[in-house]
Amino acid sequence: MINQINVNEAMLEGAKEVFETMVFMDITEAADQNQGIEGWALLGSISFKGTFEGCLAFCCNVDCAKAISANMLGIESSDVSEEETCDAMGEVANMLMGSVKARFQEQFGNVEVSIPSVVNGRNLRSNLGEGAVRISTIVNVHDEHVANLSLLYRERRQHK
Amino acid sequence: MGKSLMIVDDSATMRKIIMRTVRMSGLEFDRTEEAGNGAEALEKLNTNPVELVLCDINMPEMNGTELVKKVRELPACENTKIIMVSTESSQEIVDGVIANGANGFITKPFTPEKFHEKLAPFMN
Repeated sequence: MINQINVNEAMLEGAKEVFETMVFMDITEAADQNQGIEGWALLGSISFKGTFEGCLAFCCNVDCAKAISANMLGIESSDVSEEETCDAMGEVANMLMGSVKARFQEQFGNVEVSIPSVVNGRNLRSNLGEGAVRISTIVNVHDEHVANLSLLYRERRQHK
Repeated sequence: MGKSLMIVDDSATMRKIIMRTVRMSGLEFDRTEEAGNGAEALEKLNTNPVELVLCDINMPEMNGTELVKKVRELPACENTKIIMVSTESSQEIVDGVIANGANGFITKPFTPEKFHEKLAPFMN
């Protein structure tokens, strides 16, 4: 049985670890959990399958994504290309998935993960369909930006 | 062969991040190469072997696990050390790639200190 509070905590702890070591930015849980991502956004996601199937996503607006990419690459935000921004968002999702997976190895068992994908647009939201559990947290990135961490999962269906 | 390094990752941005982290670790290489997948890496290693390979696992075309197996069949790369760099952290996967011939494993997220710890023992 998966405890949703523990998954949320693991997702936050994983995000803090990833952002402190690779992005050199702080992540804190936002006081206002009802706020959305303003403006044009990017959503990096990675799907997984095993006993459970689902996807983990990290979504933020373009300014935040550029700041993340710039910090990861050690360059100025103005010098970050669109391709680098997309790549960095995918890699953030990939590392977040790795952190969550490591913390939930026992509950999730062995899971296969996909190669990350990144989409852009407004009001982006992952959807897994019927029977899925959604765990979602709004976070502050370096006290300057707002981002959304989400994990959707359900017991794996046996496809015929 | 000299101090030479190849970074294999399907993300060009991650290759840059790894290169930056290698520099921050204080380790220096005379020659550095990059490859976007296992197949490209194998082709380059066949003609221009390197001392050290930092390799992702999940990649299209030829993944890191397959690359390790293929590199171990190349006589030109008999002294090449391969360190896997991946978000995969299960003991089963780590043991699997080591059994196939990898020399070490670095889990993402990583730090320059971690790179130094894992890579320095293989630097002549």
